[in-house]
Amino acid sequence: MEFIILVASSFTKLLDPVVLAYVIAGFIIGTIFSAIPGLTATLALALLLPLTYSLDVTIALMACASIYMAGMCGGSITATTINIPGAPSSMMTALDGYPMQQQGKGALALGHAAIGSMAGGALGAMLLIGLAPFIAEASLLVQTTGKFSLLAFAVIVIVIAQRGKVIKAAMAACIGLMLATIGLDAMEPVTRFTFGFSNLTAGIDLMPVIIGTFAISEILIQVGAAKESRQTTEAMSKVKIRRRDFIPPLASIRKIGIVCYVKSSLIGYFVGTLPGAGGSMGSFLAYVETVRTSPNPESYGKGNPKGIAASESANNAVCGGALVPMLTFGIPGDPITAIMLGVLVINGIQPGPQLMAGQADLIAPVLASLLFSAVVLIPLTLFLLGPYFIKIVAIRKDVLYGSIALLAVVGSYVATYSTFQMMMALVLGVLAYYMRKHDFPVITMLLGFILGPNLEEFLRRSLALSNGNPMTFFTSLDSLFFVVLTLVFVYFLAIKKPLKNPGGAAQSA
Amino acid sequence: MFYFYKKIIFQFLIFIVSVAYLVTAINLGSPMVDGGLQPSFFPLIIGSFAVLFSGILLFKEWILEKRRASDAGDESSPYAAPIIVFLTLIYITAFSTIGYFIPSVLFVFSMMLMFSTKEKLVQKAVISIVIVALGYLIFELLFGVRLPTLRG
Repeated sequence: MEFIILVASSFTKLLDPVVLAYVIAGFIIGTIFSAIPGLTATLALALLLPLTYSLDVTIALMACASIYMAGMCGGSITATTINIPGAPSSMMTALDGYPMQQQGKGALALGHAAIGSMAGGALGAMLLIGLAPFIAEASLLVQTTGKFSLLAFAVIVIVIAQRGKVIKAAMAACIGLMLATIGLDAMEPVTRFTFGFSNLTAGIDLMPVIIGTFAISEILIQVGAAKESRQTTEAMSKVKIRRRDFIPPLASIRKIGIVCYVKSSLIGYFVGTLPGAGGSMGSFLAYVETVRTSPNPESYGKGNPKGIAASESANNAVCGGALVPMLTFGIPGDPITAIMLGVLVINGIQPGPQLMAGQADLIAPVLASLLFSAVVLIPLTLFLLGPYFIKIVAIRKDVLYGSIALLAVVGSYVATYSTFQMMMALVLGVLAYYMRKHDFPVITMLLGFILGPNLEEFLRRSLALSNGNPMTFFTSLDSLFFVVLTLVFVYFLAIKKPLKNPGGAAQSA
Repeated sequence: MFYFYKKIIFQFLIFIVSVAYLVTAINLGSPMVDGGLQPSFFPLIIGSFAVLFSGILLFKEWILEKRRASDAGDESSPYAAPIIVFLTLIYITAFSTIGYFIPSVLFVFSMMLMFSTKEKLVQKAVISIVIVALGYLIFELLFGVRLPTLRG
């Protein structure tokens, strides 16, 4: 209750015009990036990460939260109007949104996407605010061996969640872990894998890893897709959106029913708590569940507003869920929470179980910003800027990528004022580019890199405490809990047959 | 045949890097001394897994590519990405020696050319100058980042 009051009082921070300006700017940037096919809110956050150096950490995190929320709803506009989801999380929205557009009901589809995003985002944020303190308290009970098993659980779940490419995901995680071991050993004064480069003694900074993985590799990928971009621009020029399109009739919202919104949001929230799952999996599962329990399953994929509501509620609720492991255990669930974790790290704040207890005044405004973004900024931005989105997303690609390239390369210089970091970002960008070209999921590499140091530290400490006896991971109760949980997830994600996609769209994480 | 090697070379490189990592980890010393874990312990585990996974991937790719009869290469230009990497490399080198402005304008201009046709060059040059000026405003004036200048 104390924490809820703290979050409620944090809304007053939004009365500060500077704070409000950053939150609104973050939301608009996130919406635009997620609406443009090929760009993502993750890329927006990666590009803005260097700028957080000179910002107050609370304001930076509040802006991150609004970008995150915006990133989940912006993609629905192009998904509905031109059948090209701006973000992977809006893929399921296109299944019913675009057929509605073709039937002349595009306005209704856009309205339902907006309402669904708002409902899901708000419910996810409220669940986070209500449950996070309890999870944080429980996380304090986890001891050293349990911490290792929890981190191992996170890495394994991230890997096996990449169905169809588990070996590639495992290899990507190994690459991340290998990169994390470069530099000075955490427990003894020994340098590893530096090969005589003094710049590597302190290890590889998180900033060039994020900029390389999400910004530079994206530029390299997009330079080969110029033809596709031109086709998208042509398709966009034929679409017109009016402001009133974003307000669906009340009768049609009633027809969808509160159960659909709540159930889809809960699915999205709990999927969000799983490392590596993300918005696309949340919306996919909520959509499948809605189709499964519907009396008219054949109407889905042909323009059923309930499909849009389920998909959009779930992907926005993922935001609240994904912040649970990041805030309570220091385990990011997806690229955006990984970058938010980066904001904490570069500001010298140690994420983990102590964060919620020791720095609740830092976390509360972030959650207030998340709820504010869902309840106020989603409807307001879509209503005010919605009609112009098609014009915005049809921006010249040469101008866009020229600017992104400059921001990415110069941004990587900001951390240490050294061109070595810029070079590092380029090298890691090329690595991520080739990994993406060969279908390696780069998110597992990033999470391997982030979790690697703690994974090693807790493994060595656990074994040191047990005189090298590995049975400690099965005899300690907290560790055993995560070992069993790992086995349960391995069964459901890697052994049991996957759910079939009712709409026939490809599922991508 | 060239396509076959092109497809497999990345997996091969990953395998080589994994082996090199494992060998370096072995050279770090014994993983355990008097029951205590040493700095080489974790890299040895990671290196072993990396060699295993990259070996499986290399083997799978080798078998798959041998079976594939037709060349299914992507349509994108094979030189576009390497050219961008090269341009960025030159930019980073020039950035520290010449400063922010001139290398940045040339870099943004060349990037714009990579993402468009070679028409309206003057317009593109003007846009490049505007982007670089805006970048300066954001980094140096708004966020207080000290960017390099020609004078150092």
